[in-house]
Amino acid sequence: MRHIKTGLLAGLVAASMMPAMAATTLIKNATIYTQTAQGVLQQSSVLFENGTIVQVGDYDGSADTVIDAKGAIVTPGLIGTMNQLGLIEVDAVSSSADVGTDKANAAFDPSLAFNPKSSLIPLARKGGITRNVVAPTYSHSVIAGQLKAVNLSGELEGSVHSEPVAVVSYLGASSEDSRAVALAKLRHQLEDLQQYLTKKKTDEDAKSDLSERERVVMERVAMGELPLVIYVDRAADILQVIELKTELGVELVINSGMESWVVAEQLAAANVPVILNALAALPSNFDSLNASLHNAQRLEQAGVDVIIAESGDRNHRLYQLRFQAGHAVANGLTFEQALSAVTSTPAEVFGLTDVGQIAPGKRADLVLWSHDPLDLQGAVEKLWIDGKDASTQSRQDALRDRYMMKSDMPKAYLK
Amino acid sequence: MRLLPISAAMFGAIALSACGPQDSQKGAQSAHQKINTNPYPSTYKVLPRQTTLITNATVLTGTGERLNQTDVLIQDGIIAQVGTDLTAPENVQVIDAKGKWVTPGIIDVHSHLGAYPSPRVESHQDGNEMTNPVTAEVWVEHSVWPQDPGFNKARAGGVTTLQILPGSANLIGGRGVTLKNVPSVTMQGMKFPLAPYGLKMACGENPKRVYGSRTEAPQTRMGNMAGYREAWIEAQQYRDAWQSYDADYEAGLNPKAPERNLQLDTLKGVLDGDILIHNHCYKAEEMAMMIDLSNEFGYHAGTFHHGVEAYKIADMLAQNGSCAALWADWWGFKMEAYDMVLENVAMVDAVEKSCAIVHSDSENDIQRLNQEAGKVLYQAQRSGFDLKEEDAIVWLTLNAAKSLGIEDKTGTLESQKNADLVIWNQNPFSVYAKAEQVFIDGAKVFDRNDSAYQATSDFLLGQQ
Repeated sequence: MRHIKTGLLAGLVAASMMPAMAATTLIKNATIYTQTAQGVLQQSSVLFENGTIVQVGDYDGSADTVIDAKGAIVTPGLIGTMNQLGLIEVDAVSSSADVGTDKANAAFDPSLAFNPKSSLIPLARKGGITRNVVAPTYSHSVIAGQLKAVNLSGELEGSVHSEPVAVVSYLGASSEDSRAVALAKLRHQLEDLQQYLTKKKTDEDAKSDLSERERVVMERVAMGELPLVIYVDRAADILQVIELKTELGVELVINSGMESWVVAEQLAAANVPVILNALAALPSNFDSLNASLHNAQRLEQAGVDVIIAESGDRNHRLYQLRFQAGHAVANGLTFEQALSAVTSTPAEVFGLTDVGQIAPGKRADLVLWSHDPLDLQGAVEKLWIDGKDASTQSRQDALRDRYMMKSDMPKAYLK
Repeated sequence: MRLLPISAAMFGAIALSACGPQDSQKGAQSAHQKINTNPYPSTYKVLPRQTTLITNATVLTGTGERLNQTDVLIQDGIIAQVGTDLTAPENVQVIDAKGKWVTPGIIDVHSHLGAYPSPRVESHQDGNEMTNPVTAEVWVEHSVWPQDPGFNKARAGGVTTLQILPGSANLIGGRGVTLKNVPSVTMQGMKFPLAPYGLKMACGENPKRVYGSRTEAPQTRMGNMAGYREAWIEAQQYRDAWQSYDADYEAGLNPKAPERNLQLDTLKGVLDGDILIHNHCYKAEEMAMMIDLSNEFGYHAGTFHHGVEAYKIADMLAQNGSCAALWADWWGFKMEAYDMVLENVAMVDAVEKSCAIVHSDSENDIQRLNQEAGKVLYQAQRSGFDLKEEDAIVWLTLNAAKSLGIEDKTGTLESQKNADLVIWNQNPFSVYAKAEQVFIDGAKVFDRNDSAYQATSDFLLGQQ
């Protein structure tokens, strides 16, 4: 029987027993990845108050709570994207899944189904994720629905941001119909809407085919105010959707994009960001024959903004987002590029202007790490969402502790 | 069918001698019918190899040892020596592995490569014969597409041996096959010589969902259990029939051989101890029942795969001599996968005589099994387990070899074992680690820095 060391676990628990919520908190002696032009600050400090970062850099003053990082790394909270966290509990339990609808349109807001108490969320926090962009799953409709940002505080009230951050459309390989149909439908909807918007300037009675609730969202897409995220892999299809941007002026984001690197120059020229899985190395169908572990690297080299997202089990194991970023480093990204791909870049692309960076005025979504945050040895020591301590204790930890304890009574009595 | 078993056995013993009273009856006997247990034999040939000395590496032996600044000598396809300052024989290729790590080749006990290949198109869905809850008659080797690009990706991740299993829709899904991860035009060219066959069984949600949704049996977990028991009763009868036939034949009689039944051939192979069970089973109470089931019918319950709740019955698994092949952190896709703990592998491993394995069941995770084990290792360290890199490698090598019944051939860097090994650019349990060179039977099969050793599948060749 191997010895089980108990001291380490106890030490970690003690370290997290800080006062719950104080007016000002100071993290000092930290290596701070600001994700701003300031870059990485050694032996530096970050001060926050009531959920907002007040000061970053040298700070000699006091604070209600002071945490000595002893050189450890502090990063912005990580940002998950394109998943259904909080919309599903168990995939095979249909009553627990509220991830999308085939009757979707731009008015569909999946976050109305968001459950901050989902058992998946504490595990995501264990991966340093503080904020997340939930997206509806595949729909036969032209627009599968809205993307909404949430915080992962687990609090029943106030977790969901009020405004949508994008809408999403699924294009590319389809077993049911020609891919040309879906692309044409999307294009026609955008063209019709732009014609309507032009007409409306002179004709008050101008009519749109869309319902009022869809129209108010799609108008913002047509005017380039709200990004349109398009799920697509094949290089030729990516060029087709880039044309939507150049011709119609919509703000475009590619999702999945397994062959993006093939058209990296075109994506860079059109200023189109790509959300990808940095581990996708095998063709899932004929749309991704050029899948490559160097997708992210080649896009970065061409000047394309890259967001790294979980795509396999993107909900239950969202916590490993940081490991995927680490693998991206092993395959050619710099550490800071990889960190940007899970912090400042998703914040920028989705207009979450107050997160993703460590700078005065930003929300205090912060993570203090034990080691390198992208490596397997690294773990979250402490995590704050909107300046509040957030626990990383999960249901998995409770089960582990129950079955690690010795007792003459059945485990059911151990809580 | 069974005639005078005791005396038949006695006659059998006598028949082994050169002469005896049976000689006179031999003319009356038809040819002795036997089941050919190896009709699709391995044609594996070692790739070109040379004597190789790897020097100054950090060596994880797969036996729980870590040896610093150590040399490994590969000669004639086997591990000749592991030690410090080894003398280089003539014509040896020397690899300076200063700063690098060497481990046994990684063994994945649960893969569907070739049977559910990439791309995952309709025409390639060959992994599960979902036409009957008991399909012990199918052999997954007959579905393996050797051109699956996933084999090459797995090799680049240090995987030298892998067991391909049928899917889990059936109570008894068919035979698995153990392959060496070498490029080949035929399945037989990959087949691991002399590795025992595996038999896939599945508990829980999948069989009852697949057949229950067709209003066929099984529709419930109790239906699952009834299905296994009926199959094993038939298998026992079949085994007994062959035993009687063989005994009668040995006794000089001229019995009629039992009618061949492919399904029962395989189940008989399990009862005879020749075929190893690989049981897809998530939950504690179901694994406990599968152990009782094996005792009811007289076979070994083998390895439990997926075992998300293995930590709840770690003692029971070890006492039964059952390996548990587990994921680092998969959960939540079904109810039976809800009670995941990140320390599952470590908790199973902590018990004496345990056999914890990290498996993939994934064309993606098989490319990074070292890091899947790394997740467990460092999470468990944080939770207070006294585990090190030299312990974690056992989950991917020796224990996996035990599960497949090939631990006498591969899975450790002990002298005389097959030279299946990986040179890593650093600690293999780091997220930044990469396999630099991979050897199978002493032959280099992958080199990250030499495209001459990077195989490409026919399917991807010439694609634009």
